[in-house]
Amino acid sequence: MVATIKEIKIPKKPIPIIGSLETMYNVGRFMFKKPITTQYPEEKGEIPERFRFRIFLSPESCIGCTLCEQICPNHSIKMEVWEVEKEQGLVVETKRGARENLQNKRHIYPDVNFGTCTVCRNCEEICPTNAIYLTHQFEDARTRNSFTYSPQELARQEDDVIK
Amino acid sequence: MPHYTELNIGPVHPSIHGIFNFKLILNEEIIQDVKVTLGFLHRNAEKLSELNLYADNIIFFDRMNYIDAMNMELCYLMSVEKITGIEPPERAQWIRMIMVELNRLAARLVGMGSLGLDLGMLTPFFHAFKEREKIQRIFTEASGGRQEVNYFSIGGVYQDFTEKIINDIRNFIDQFKKNLEDMYNMFIHSEIFWQRNQGIGIIEPELAFDYGVTGPAIRASGIPYDVRKDAPYLFYDKVNFDIPISHQKDNFGRFMIKVEEMRQSIRIIEQSLDKINDGPFFNPQGKKSLMLRIKGNGEAFSRVESDAGEFGVYVKGDNTTKPYRVHARSPGLRNLSLLPVISKGLMIADFIAVVGGLDPVVGEVDR
Amino acid sequence: MNLLFKLHQWFSFLGNYASYGIAYLIETIVVLAFVAISFIILIYVFRKYMARIQLRIGPNRVGKFGLLQLIADALKLMGKESILPKGRDDMAYKIAPIITMMSIMVSFIIIPYGGLYYFGNLTTTHSDITLILIFGILSIMPIGEVLGGISTRSNYAILGTLRGIAKDVSFEVPMLISVLAIVMVSSRSFVTGGSTYNSLSLAGIVTNEIIPYGIIEPLGLIVFFISMIARASYSPFDLSESDSELISGSTTEYGGMRFGLFYIGLFGMVYLGSFLVSLLYLGGYNGPVSSYFGFIFLLIKVIILVLIAFLIWLSLPRMRIDRFVQFGWKYLLPLAVINLIYAGFFVLYIR
Repeated sequence: MVATIKEIKIPKKPIPIIGSLETMYNVGRFMFKKPITTQYPEEKGEIPERFRFRIFLSPESCIGCTLCEQICPNHSIKMEVWEVEKEQGLVVETKRGARENLQNKRHIYPDVNFGTCTVCRNCEEICPTNAIYLTHQFEDARTRNSFTYSPQELARQEDDVIK
Repeated sequence: MPHYTELNIGPVHPSIHGIFNFKLILNEEIIQDVKVTLGFLHRNAEKLSELNLYADNIIFFDRMNYIDAMNMELCYLMSVEKITGIEPPERAQWIRMIMVELNRLAARLVGMGSLGLDLGMLTPFFHAFKEREKIQRIFTEASGGRQEVNYFSIGGVYQDFTEKIINDIRNFIDQFKKNLEDMYNMFIHSEIFWQRNQGIGIIEPELAFDYGVTGPAIRASGIPYDVRKDAPYLFYDKVNFDIPISHQKDNFGRFMIKVEEMRQSIRIIEQSLDKINDGPFFNPQGKKSLMLRIKGNGEAFSRVESDAGEFGVYVKGDNTTKPYRVHARSPGLRNLSLLPVISKGLMIADFIAVVGGLDPVVGEVDR
Repeated sequence: MNLLFKLHQWFSFLGNYASYGIAYLIETIVVLAFVAISFIILIYVFRKYMARIQLRIGPNRVGKFGLLQLIADALKLMGKESILPKGRDDMAYKIAPIITMMSIMVSFIIIPYGGLYYFGNLTTTHSDITLILIFGILSIMPIGEVLGGISTRSNYAILGTLRGIAKDVSFEVPMLISVLAIVMVSSRSFVTGGSTYNSLSLAGIVTNEIIPYGIIEPLGLIVFFISMIARASYSPFDLSESDSELISGSTTEYGGMRFGLFYIGLFGMVYLGSFLVSLLYLGGYNGPVSSYFGFIFLLIKVIILVLIAFLIWLSLPRMRIDRFVQFGWKYLLPLAVINLIYAGFFVLYIR
């Protein structure tokens, strides 16, 4: 089972005018076919399950391991200090009962620059606690200076992020 | 002494495939000389690859030949797998093969449609892109990305094929056969299309050897050189397909070769879909949590048949997590360097058609 | 009874000359308004038609079904900054689009439109030599293109203009020879067998055209139709534009409404070409039923021709300039001459 070499057959040369008429028929018969375009803002096509875009962060499970910072190919992720536990009093269920999230002892959380992010999904793949994850959300137009998302903004929905 | 006109084509021009600059030295409409200027899209991909982890570099290769991203990834990963010793399992190989052939279809569709635009046919372009969109839909289903897919990983693929994806591919192939012939008929029945392509941009076999031309361009010159046949990778030695050759040597021959290769790609995909087996889709040695720790030692060169021709990647590792040197051999650069030779004496319109027929992708030419 | 006399009678209280003047003015304005509205519809139809063939939807945002899209585009073009190239020849640069546009507009006033039930005959220009007049005006149109191309001193524009001139030279001779054949056939009446006296006027030709001349002279029809495609310069003969090679050819350096005038000129020429083909070769406003609705018959023929023209535009690739020149001199010209000889025999022997 190997590839075989085949000399391609060159079709017969079309007759002038008649060939053009055939081309016109071949093109013109699509006149009555249904359009395939999607009218975007009104109707949004079905998004495939694995489609990935906007990065989200769930601060209660982030342990500040900096793996995502290390794996990011474009160095779009920087770790940033955020005292989220004090602000929101995050509580983690453990075997010994509920207590404060002390896993992230350095209080560092990822900060993503979407201007250079290539949505390669490596951060999601390497995250040991699934704290950073990509979602289907792709409608986040921005001005040029506001591509950087702080950890607070990463944790919120796009509409709540005020830029 | 005739009067010469200088005409700039590019870097921004309606029918330039990417950004490069041609300076045409014209005697009225006849081209006397062509000066090619490249480097507008140079993004330092090779050097950047030396500064990043093995697993990270995949995205730079996605962006080399961005319309044939799967092949670029595959070539890089084949090199990396050689020096890290992480072999992909069988199912991953089949998945890779299906994806690579689908992407070859997508890339050929872009080439076909934009050749039509270059010649002034407005309609086939849209039909080609309609089909390409369906392929990219399948890519999104499988990997999450439309064009820059980042689907292959060291020792396998990121996510497994589901039953739905396989069904989608089967459905796509079924309707694509007819649509391909429809598109082909839009071109081939027009005698003006023949006039515009026959005898234009003739590449003699010796010239092709001298310049290292590969891909459809060399097969249209009558040399049956195809990496898939001469140095089979993946499972190309386990499927039946034809390598189309032609002795036309001109732009028309290249077009016919591309169309015939699309038909052969369909055959390969169909056979692969029948032969794909169950099993693991990645090698545990290359699993995601180990991405930071993969080390390579030694050097390796591997090559694939990308849409423009033979694409090769050289990787040298020094037992660290980052490659010591990465180099890519781009077919587009070789094909473009032939342009000044074959376009002497052509008219401007022919020149545009020849560039369209070689379909260079500047991301890969400039790297 | 034609519209002009009706208007003349309405204004007869002003005296003979004044009322004729006003009648002419009003009728011209009416015809130009009709033409302007049909341009809008034509461009809309073209865009929708192109979209449907390419599996798209086309304009559908401005107004119901996108009907107002062209008006929005025209407003946009007018509002745009007029960017003038530096090394231009100012006068020629500014006058060129106006020449193109004017020659199209004037041609539409010369065309006989036939009768419409209540209004009578809509023809504006009552002259015995409208055929000569219209081809005279048509030969002004390329002057606008040439001036526009040369005056900007852009290499693209100059190359496009050179192509345009080569194209014009190679198709206009066969076009005029095929028109000459029409005049020959038309100079002898089908009914009486005697000679007619108004075979140099478009209206006279149509009156004599009891059998469409396209059936009598199919070769002439082919030559004239191809010439009209070349005159309007759309694909496959859009050599002076060549958008994939020369950016936009002779109109490369134009922007804003000046470009818009060239653009309307292109569509106007498609429309005018369809009018001429249907008048000269397809029986014009003669139809199977009474001539009350001559105008409707003419419009139907024109619309069919326009749709065929658009289909050609969308499906065929562009010809290379040297091929076109060869095509013009080696195929079109001999065909036209054969057609002329055939017409001579037809007039002499077959009657």
